[in-house]
Amino acid sequence: MRRICGYIISTLALLLFSSSFARSQDTLWVPLKVNVGLEVMGPVNYFINKDVLSVEGYVSVDRNEKLSYVLAAGYLDYKYSQYNYTYLNNGFFIRLGPDFNILKPKKSKGKYWGGIGFRYGLSHYQWEVPSLHQANYWGEASASIPARKEWGHFLEAAPGMRAEIFPHFSMGWTVSLRMLIHTNSTDDLKPIYFPGYGNAAKRFSTGFSYYIVWNIPYKKIRVITKKEEPEETDETDDMNSNQNRNSPDYRQQQSPSDNMR
Amino acid sequence: MSRLYKGILITIAAGCSIFLNSCSLKSCFDVTESKVNTGFYSKETGKAVPPDSLTLFGMNMDTSKIYNKVLAPETVQFPLYASDTSVKFIIKINGIDDTLEFRYSSYIHLISKECGYTWYYTLDTALHSFNIIDSLSFSKKTITTLSEENMRIYY
Repeated sequence: MRRICGYIISTLALLLFSSSFARSQDTLWVPLKVNVGLEVMGPVNYFINKDVLSVEGYVSVDRNEKLSYVLAAGYLDYKYSQYNYTYLNNGFFIRLGPDFNILKPKKSKGKYWGGIGFRYGLSHYQWEVPSLHQANYWGEASASIPARKEWGHFLEAAPGMRAEIFPHFSMGWTVSLRMLIHTNSTDDLKPIYFPGYGNAAKRFSTGFSYYIVWNIPYKKIRVITKKEEPEETDETDDMNSNQNRNSPDYRQQQSPSDNMR
Repeated sequence: MSRLYKGILITIAAGCSIFLNSCSLKSCFDVTESKVNTGFYSKETGKAVPPDSLTLFGMNMDTSKIYNKVLAPETVQFPLYASDTSVKFIIKINGIDDTLEFRYSSYIHLISKECGYTWYYTLDTALHSFNIIDSLSFSKKTITTLSEENMRIYY
């Protein structure tokens, strides 16, 4: 019984202390949101170049003022022709991972996002080379690579910015740096480009995305923007005590005990 | 706040440069044709000895020469044909004719997005006459676009 009482008293003391501590700090209410984004560079590019149709969107949920969880999905229909071959690819991809906001809550105010996201990407696509030619001393050789369905796995780091332009709507961009982990292609017969990743002939690829985002607030949290500074008087007391330690008086006070040793 | 704007501007500039770089059309600067890289060696010493002169052309294609009286070539490259499984050459080393036939299989290989796909080959055998050529040996039977020695001609 004594132990229980002791526990209750110490918990109450702790709560009282922590509440008085919180009152003395600067805090800010930050809205946590569900964000629904649509990538706009893909459709814009499609009007310029009808060979590439890329559609992508994402949903992210804020865990706190710094961290949010992102799930993105998209579709790509890609056609590419070079001097001696034609390449077709279409398929879907998903990306998932965290976004970290590195802006301080005082600056971001729940309206700005500046940070970096990390993603694992998975792509399922079908590719083919309908025509392939090569001319040499003996004449022209022709071939085609029939359609094949494959999977691609990659990792991505995506630094970027977003800013609220209207209430509940923001715009922003990310630069994507991707690393290919694995595809189930052979070493020789590889796709040159696949959804979500880009140039698959290389182990690393880059990308640029521009998003329009609908922000749906679902909760507000109180964030400490400035921690309580130690009171000046305590500091000066400490300093005085330190000084006293070095002062001759202090030494004098200590000396009897030293002598006792 | 000005630091924030500076950061935003720098990031925008970096983002745009990466984007523009990724969008720019690039040309192909790689080798796109796989050939049998061959060196010449002395049958007596086994050391590399370039012939005084060399002429090379395909069988029944003597009007179109690959090498025509080239002086002291250290290596020659035999082109193969992806639409066939064998090719025959006439090789004239120091004025003496020999025939050389390659038998092989081919497969498609991706070079890069810019250069596209090409054919790689796996050599099966090489048959030859013995007028000046003594023997052949293979260092690498997979014929790629890399500049590595595939075959040695001893004469």
